[in-house]
Amino acid sequence: MRSPELAASRNAHMSPLLVKELRDALSGRALWTMLFILCPLVGYSFFQAVALYSEASASARDSPVLASGLSPLDGVLVPSFGALYLAVTLLFPFVAIRTLGHEKETGALRLLVQLPYRVPTLVVAKVAAISIAWLISIIPLVSVLIIWIVLGGHLYAPETLNLLLGHLLYGLLVGAIALFAAAVSESAATAAIIALAFTIGSWVLDFGLAGQPGLLEWISRLSLTQTLRSFEQGLLSLSLLLGIVAVICGFTALSAVWLHPGQRLQIKLSRSVICVAIIAAVLALATQIRTSIDLSEDQRNSFPAADQRALAELREPLVITVRLAPEDPRYVDLRRNVLSKLQRVLPNVTVRLATTGQSMVGSTSDEAYGEIEYSYGGRLAKTRSTSHREALPLLYGLAGKPIPTPIAGEDYPGYPLIAGSELTLLWFFAALPLLIAITWWWSRRVPRIPQQLVQDGGQT
Amino acid sequence: MTAPSVIRSLHLAEQATAPIHIAGLSKRYGEQRALIDVCFDVRAREVLGLIGPNGAGKTTLLEAIAGILPADAGDVLWHGTPLSHAHRRDAIFYLPDGLRPWDDQFVVRVVEFFATVYGHGQSRVAETIHSVGLSPVLNKRISALSKGYGRRLMLVLALLTPQPVLLMDEPFDGFDLRQTREIMGVLRDVASRGRSLVLAIHQLNDAERICDRFVLLADGQVRGIGTLNELRARSGKASARLEDVFLALT
Repeated sequence: MRSPELAASRNAHMSPLLVKELRDALSGRALWTMLFILCPLVGYSFFQAVALYSEASASARDSPVLASGLSPLDGVLVPSFGALYLAVTLLFPFVAIRTLGHEKETGALRLLVQLPYRVPTLVVAKVAAISIAWLISIIPLVSVLIIWIVLGGHLYAPETLNLLLGHLLYGLLVGAIALFAAAVSESAATAAIIALAFTIGSWVLDFGLAGQPGLLEWISRLSLTQTLRSFEQGLLSLSLLLGIVAVICGFTALSAVWLHPGQRLQIKLSRSVICVAIIAAVLALATQIRTSIDLSEDQRNSFPAADQRALAELREPLVITVRLAPEDPRYVDLRRNVLSKLQRVLPNVTVRLATTGQSMVGSTSDEAYGEIEYSYGGRLAKTRSTSHREALPLLYGLAGKPIPTPIAGEDYPGYPLIAGSELTLLWFFAALPLLIAITWWWSRRVPRIPQQLVQDGGQT
Repeated sequence: MTAPSVIRSLHLAEQATAPIHIAGLSKRYGEQRALIDVCFDVRAREVLGLIGPNGAGKTTLLEAIAGILPADAGDVLWHGTPLSHAHRRDAIFYLPDGLRPWDDQFVVRVVEFFATVYGHGQSRVAETIHSVGLSPVLNKRISALSKGYGRRLMLVLALLTPQPVLLMDEPFDGFDLRQTREIMGVLRDVASRGRSLVLAIHQLNDAERICDRFVLLADGQVRGIGTLNELRARSGKASARLEDVFLALT
């Protein structure tokens, strides 16, 4: 049995550990370098986005139809946040790796694991520091939002916050992967290679496998960048949210498994297997959740409100058989315009790809290629259109329901804005980097030493 | 009672009084056997010297005892009860050799971190800092410290920990003769206040001056345990220095 004195030594407060982790993150050059690089990247992206948005707005000045296509989310926010995505993908792993890799390299980890904290507590403190580092790194993006409002731009809070949430989750995901890489590697360089293999490997999946049929298409969905897609479209999918959180927690748990240098390899491996199994189970569970919230102001992920209401009353299973190859642009259109919206609004939708395993080139000689068959309540209807304006009347016909009357005044007006943003370049290329440099210099100042500690004979 | 059973009961009685008993620790690195069935006790308030040449297995042994390195076999017992891997840190604190942790932080920050983790007030911190002479460099970054001050910092961190057993790897490395004597005084004081110290030392003169007992280690095996006089008796060299005793027994 352990003595009471020993048991008491295991209950230390979390706050000193959190403060230490934060100081470690701020004292490294990785975070500040990332911030310096982000300023011009974000600034130039924002400048370009505003210039293009202004140009489009000028064309749409006299056309309400054109104006309705001008959404600040697509036109300004997503391009500006793209710079953050780039920095988080390429630079943030170094910030996250440093929280553990530096301690491994200097041997500090051997002291840390002997302190009265459980290993998961140590890892959670590091994840907290990584989260705060991410929050610091979005300072240029926060200034983008403020400048956009100052320029007279429009922001819709739900879709903006949703976009921020998506980037936060992506940042934490990259951070958790980098932390895991640092936990399994002996050096920061090896950890960087592992982490970048995940992040840059995602680009390979995006560019190389996306749109390919069959298994390749499924593999392409493992890309980390897929996590941002629906957030950029203003959609909050609970399935995706749960999946990302599960993977973040999973990599954090794996980091805890691999952190302690005194643990046997067999134990680490067996615990890793359990972790991976739990993550897989949660991911499988997440795929069953179909709830999602359309937070976009223009409701781009939903049908018009009248259709949404009418479709919500359809309770029978709908089976859609699509004779299109997955890489066919028409299938992409169909998914975006019809299938994904139907899957959100109807309780029971099954989509079957009749061309599974066939390529677009091989299928075009088939006369039926391009047909989309809707089966509802024992009745069938076919069309080749990928627009909801064709598909929904067919569906109402199958269900024996009248086509709903559109609700007046529900159209998205669009937010055209002609603004000059040249001066903002001064902020992003000079003022903000200068402020960051001053903050960095201030953070490196010598701390105040309590008088009691320095009153000494002064041995040298 | 037979002779072996008397020896066994004496051994058990000794284990009961010793806070830590190392029972048969073994460790392999591939084909190389770094530790072979290492057994010894660490008694309360003693300074135990772990003596051996470079490559004898001193660091491996200390790391295995502290639970920082997984041992292939063996146990560490706390008052006769096996101390699980996760609970080693409750009884033992190990100060590795040649560390320069958190090197871009200020000395005072790292000292404050350890002090707040263990709930020490400023007077205790000041006393510890002054005892090892760390005050002049509190406002320096750890990366800027000399080897000697780096050592003093590590010593301060170790002295702020509350574990009853303190393992230190080459604690006098980096100190000159005068400084070594000062630090020996500090460590002696620590032992007299109730902590047990296990010091891995390869300078036998230093070891002879500070240690109460010795564990002689060579090629991963314990070659002798006891006070200097006991080891002298075993080696048959009545007035020999530790150096000669070590050479005779290993």
